[in-house]
Formats: sequence, structure tokens, C-alpha cells
Amino acid sequence: MQVIENLKVKEKLYTEKLENGLTVMIIPKKGMQKKYIVWGTNYGSNDSKFVVPGEQNETEVPKGVAHFLEHKMFEQENGTNSLDVLTSLGVEANAYTTNDHTAYLFEATDKFYEALDELMDYVQHPYFTDENVEKEKGIIGQEIMMYDDYPEWRVYLNTLEAMYHNHPVKLDITGTIETIKDIDKEILYKCYNTFYNPSNMTLVVCGDFEPEKLIEEIKNRLIPNKANGEIKRIYPQEPENVVKNEVEQKMDVSQPLYTIGIKDKIAEEKEKVKKHIAIEILLNMIIGGSSELYKKLYNEGTIYSMPSLDYEFSKDYAHILISGQSKEPKKVLEEFKKTVKQMQQNGINEDDFNRTRKMIYGGYVREYNNVADIARMFLADSFKGINSFDYLEEIDTVNLDYAKQVLDDVFKDEKIVISIVD
Amino acid sequence: MLENMDYKVKEIKEGVKLHLINTDKFKTNLVAVFLTTPLNRETITFDSVLSAVLRRGSQNMPTQEQISKELEEMYGATFDCGINKTGDNHIFKFYLEAINDNFCPQKDENMLKTSVEKLLDIVCNPLVEGGHFKDEYVNQEKENIKHIIEGKKDNKAMYAQDRCIEEMYKNEIFGLYKYGYVEDLEKINSKNLYEHYLKLKDECKIDIFVSGILGENDETEIEKNENILNLKSRTPNYIVSKLEEKKNMEEKQVNESMEVTQGKLVIGLDININNEELKYDVLVYNSILGGTANSKLFQNVREKASLAYTASSSYVRYKNNIFINCGIEINNYEKALEIIKQQLQEMKNGNFTEEDLQNSKKIIISSINSIDDEQDTEITYFLGQELTNNNVSLDEYKEKIEKVTKDDVLNIAQKVSVNTIYFLKN
Repeated sequence: MQVIENLKVKEKLYTEKLENGLTVMIIPKKGMQKKYIVWGTNYGSNDSKFVVPGEQNETEVPKGVAHFLEHKMFEQENGTNSLDVLTSLGVEANAYTTNDHTAYLFEATDKFYEALDELMDYVQHPYFTDENVEKEKGIIGQEIMMYDDYPEWRVYLNTLEAMYHNHPVKLDITGTIETIKDIDKEILYKCYNTFYNPSNMTLVVCGDFEPEKLIEEIKNRLIPNKANGEIKRIYPQEPENVVKNEVEQKMDVSQPLYTIGIKDKIAEEKEKVKKHIAIEILLNMIIGGSSELYKKLYNEGTIYSMPSLDYEFSKDYAHILISGQSKEPKKVLEEFKKTVKQMQQNGINEDDFNRTRKMIYGGYVREYNNVADIARMFLADSFKGINSFDYLEEIDTVNLDYAKQVLDDVFKDEKIVISIVD
Repeated sequence: MLENMDYKVKEIKEGVKLHLINTDKFKTNLVAVFLTTPLNRETITFDSVLSAVLRRGSQNMPTQEQISKELEEMYGATFDCGINKTGDNHIFKFYLEAINDNFCPQKDENMLKTSVEKLLDIVCNPLVEGGHFKDEYVNQEKENIKHIIEGKKDNKAMYAQDRCIEEMYKNEIFGLYKYGYVEDLEKINSKNLYEHYLKLKDECKIDIFVSGILGENDETEIEKNENILNLKSRTPNYIVSKLEEKKNMEEKQVNESMEVTQGKLVIGLDININNEELKYDVLVYNSILGGTANSKLFQNVREKASLAYTASSSYVRYKNNIFINCGIEINNYEKALEIIKQQLQEMKNGNFTEEDLQNSKKIIISSINSIDDEQDTEITYFLGQELTNNNVSLDEYKEKIEKVTKDDVLNIAQKVSVNTIYFLKN
């Protein structure tokens, strides 16, 4: 096992790529009662077109299969449901699907190894029948409808639709009631066999463990399996420009919700983390708690709270999102653009930059408080090709010049869109 | 357990307590101040505007911008404040979380001391001009609170839950909306709000929590804080929650229409018990009914009937109510209601197994075990103990859950009645 230590947060990562291709990461946290494990596959809602290793032809499946699979994995051939089994052990189990990965997890204070038996058993043994697939459509249908009632979710998805012409990131992770109709057990098995190969998966554990002992326990529970070849994923050609600069939807809300989106290019492998840090610093300098712009918008009553600031990216897309509520979202956009332009012309204030970077650093340190947050962070970052410690290591290399370069490069008027729900 | 944690309470002066949680499990120190005051229709809106105004500036940090800058300098300490309805009390919560000195690249910081100073400055030493709050701040925050109150309907699931409570507690204190009422805002000005603040500060119950790696001198350092020294002794004015008898009322049904895709069903249950100790039995009852993925509601409404994605119940201890929550297709209302009522009947008939009981206890105990894994959760637990005049340690809490038997749960089931069925549809 390779050991990577970070002296800033005084934590260690133990990692190994096993013979069957599975990557295991262990972050020991002495003294914590909770033990958290998350097993993920690098397969999310974006992966609906691909070439199965060993085949010649492309396979295309309906939107929403990754999420559907997530729901169905719990069902076992002996008639039990693994979610029930885990719950009856007293552990809290769950699963989730994102654009680029699907993950199965539990947290336990007791009976960790019994629960590990069940988790590793069910993720390695799918059992789909016509009947159990049909039944799930009702439940997922309600999940889709639940999201339809969240204005925050609508304003977010509309932003992506305004930015992306073809890329599937703009689609609902769940698929739609229409697309899930076409899902059957053959499709589920095909996707399972393609993407749930150990070589496409990463398992992360955080809690009070002896890493050497734990990794043996994990190895003992793996069924014989060989690493398969590379899965070719096919994403449609995505132009650099946006689809439209504005999108609006009517909904029953008290005040308009807005999201400002900025479509970005994918950074070079080596630069990803650095760029992410620079963007976080810049966003906070432009519209964060101590910025002139925030003060102005707040004092004149245009916004009532700090917008949330995010940079989302994966291996094949990247964008900035600034979201909040405002009675005049277009004014927020206009002022935002104006501030960006001024900063591009006049340069970045060095004191503000240093102070904001200090703040971002503290935020990274704080991520190491909670076993669940740590495990999920290492998993999500690993599918982006990132070791989470890199943020702490690289933050000092982000200097004023680099930030200025990112500001000029990324914050371009024509790449900015606004989505409004009112 | 708790080998890494040490909890100590000290009454600094009458009505003001300092709670110290010495723990080395975190990268951060968390300082929290709670002001507890009775909920009241007359002052509820004052409270909510006040909590927003205090955030705007203190004598030493007169603007939000300044507060933000100083927090950013502290490696991005996070500060927030808010207001919550807990039982029949309104609780102001102020917190400041900053990384511990051990993780600061510069070694000359005293982050804990600075955190206590800054937070207490905001709570105790607000910006005052000419004997009142700054007009500009009060007017802006009145406007903000108006938006928050009007925004109540934006989150439909939460709205349905709030509405169910309002219907159950019509004309009662617990039925009040925690942010207050738009029509009250016009009565509030910078002068009467400041008077409200002064009265609150001198009369409310004050609890100061400090959680983190505490050094030998930290306790005395904190007590030397000038703002703490200046607090008056008081007989704290707040409501110690006690069991209320539930009057047997007829089941109420409320339907409301709004633009929703999915119907939101909330059912409020009364638990008529006369002994605090029975609350542990209710916790287990709730867990079997709708607290987990194994529960009757999840299994029958979601897994068997495929009617919902969410189907659960939660226990509001302070008021002895259980709330059942379901998101369903609007046409399936009758069907879902029937299945839910069946589950309540099953519980009454004792149709749950020893295994259900043991599983539920395991889940609850596991959550007790992990209380001290999160600073905020731990503080909330000890505050709850403080407000109910309970001194149940985490170990005792677990023992009490261990002891719950099937008969105990069955006994609770007989004391459960439906108070209100609320349905939000289109």
C-alpha cells in the first residue's frame, strides 16, 4: 500500500490498486466512532453511449439507466433487500448517482464487518427481474416528480440547458418518466457488466481503522474477477459557445431564483486543481461576503443573502455556477459582468487576494472534520483524476498572476448565461 | 466511548452558563451562543428581525463587509446566526467556527480567543447610533424578513410540514411561524427593536458553548471576556418543556391547493403520555413506524405499493408529536392514506416483531454513538438536555433505549391518535 501524508491537516491516505483493477483508499481517523465506506463506479448519468470492451459496435441506452441501476442493486436473488439487511444491522445505508459516478455506502458505529459482507456481496451480485424492474418505475417516477417541485433544481437544470448544446450533463440524472419506460433487465445487466468491473471502481473508507488489516478484509470479500479493458465512452461533439444567454421558467415562487452560469473549457490534467482553486478565490473576490459588489447589491435590496458559488467539472465538462434569489436577477447579472470587466482592466487587489486565499485554505482544512465528507470527497475527486490532498498542496502556488490569467481566460461575456425561475 | 471528549458545565452567573467540550477530534473550534426566550405572538417578529440586524455589525466591526474581512483573515472562519422554534421557546443561535491553531500555517495565532471575542462582540455589543440600532440596517432587514416569510411556500415539502403544525396548534404558541408575520413588520423601528434587544439580553437564558482542543488557560481566558463579564445575573425567562395532556380531538382534515406536480401528505399524530421516561419508548415506536428503511411506512407505502419515493415519520420530542411525511401522486391520496392508517393499526395490534424492535434500537443507539463525531450535533444534544433540565449522559441515553421492550412500544401505540391530515395538491 502506498502511503501519502499531508502535513497541513496531519492526515494520511493509504491507497492500493489491486490486481483486479479495483482502487482502494483508506483514510484512518483515530477516535471517531463513525466508520464510513463508499464504493463507487465511474459510471454516471452522462454515460449512456459507449463501446463495451471487446465489442465493435456502440451501445446506446435510455437516459437514466445509471440511476435506475442504483435503485435496483439492493434487490437480492434470495428475496432479501440489502438496504433492509444493512438497516437491521443498525447501520445507515444509502446510495447516490451523479453525472460521472454511482456510489453505494454505509456508515456504522458497530458491526462494520458484518455490514461490509453485505455491501460487498450486493454490489457484486446484481439480480434483476422483469417484475422488480417494472415496480421500480413507480418509485422513480415519484422521485422525478419530487424534483419537479424544487425550483432550485429547475433553475439549475435550465442553466445547463442554456450552456450545453449536446452534452448529456444537461439532462436529469434520473432520466424522465418517458425515458425510464424503456429500461428493462437486459439493459441493466449490460450496463452493470460493463461499468461495475473492478477496474472501473474505487472503494474509499474513513474511520478508526488499521489500514493493513482493513485492506485484507476487503480483498477477502472480492469475488474472482478480471480487470476488463478500457470502456470507450462516446460524448457528442460539444461546441465551445453557449446555446443561449438567457432562459426563463414560470413557477410558483415568492421571489425569482437565478443561476448565472459560465461555460468553461476542460483544464489540462495537471492544471485542474490549480484552476479550481483560482476560480474559487476569484468568485469570492467578485461577489463574496466582503466584496464591493455584494455590499452594493445587498444594500440596495437587490439580493438578500450571499449567492452560492460553485465550480463543477468532470473529465469532459466544466462550468461555474452562481445561484441565489433576487427581485431583479438581470441586474445581478449586469453588475456581475461590470465588476468582472473592471477587475480584468484594473487588475486584482493583492490584499484582497491574499485574504481570500487564506479563507479558501481554511475551508479545505475544515473538510477533514467529518468521516462521511472525507470519504465522499476522495471518491468524487478520484473519478476526476485528482487526489484530494492536492488542494492543500497546490494552494500556495496559486498566485496573483495566475489568478489574473484565469480571470481573463474564463470570465468571458459570451460564455455567461442566466437562468431565471419566477 | 467518549475517551476523547470531556464535557463540563459551569454557571458563570445566574442564568448564564458556559459549556466546555474538550475534544481533539476536529480541525476546528466551534463557539456557539444560544439565547432562549419564550415564544410569543407579540414579539416573534421582533425576534426574527433582531437576529438579522445583529448580524449586520457591532461597535468594533460596524459593517458586514468588515465582519467578513475579519473572518476571512481567520482562515475563513464561518459565522452565522439564526432563530429556531424549539418547543415553546424561540432560540437565537450564533456560531463561529474557525480552524484550530494546530492547522494554521502561521504559529502565532490564538484562534479560540479571537473567535470568542468576535462572536460575543456581535451578540453583546451591537452597533448603536444615538441610542438605537442603525436605521438603515433595521429597514433593510425588515425587508429581508418579509422576503423570508413570503418565501415560506417556495419549498413545498417544508411548507406542508409547517402548515400541518399550524393547523394542529391553531391559536397556540407552537403554531406560530418562526420568522413571524408580515403585518407586524411595520410596528418595528430602530428604537423599539433596540429596547426589545436590551430586555432580551438581560432576561433570556444564555448558554455559551465552546468545543475544540481546549488548553489549560482557555477556560479562565474565556471567563475574562469583557462582554461575558458585563452580562447581568438573571432569573432566566424561558419555558422548561413539560408534558402536556393531549385532548382527544376529532381527526382534522385540511386540503390546500398550490402549483405542485406531486402531492405532499403530512399527518400529525398526538402521543398522549404522562411520563417523560416514556419518550424513549416513543423514539423506538417512531423508528419502527417510519424512522428507517425497514420501517412499516417505507416498506408498505414505498417498497410494496410503489406509491412514493419518500415515506417516513419523525418525532418532535418537545411537543410529543410524530409527523408522517409522504410525497405521492395526487390521485393516490386515498390509497396512501389507507395504507398509512393500516400501519398505525398494525402497530396498535402489536404486529411487529422482536427483530423490528431490536433493529430499531440498534439504529437509535448507533446515532447516539456518533453524536460526539460532530461538534454541532454534540452541542445541540447538550443544549437540549439543558433546556429540558435533563442530565442524561450519552451512556445513560443508550441504556434507556436498550431497556425498551415490545410491550413498552405496544403501550405507546395505544396512545397514538391522528390529530391532523394535511394534503397539499394542485
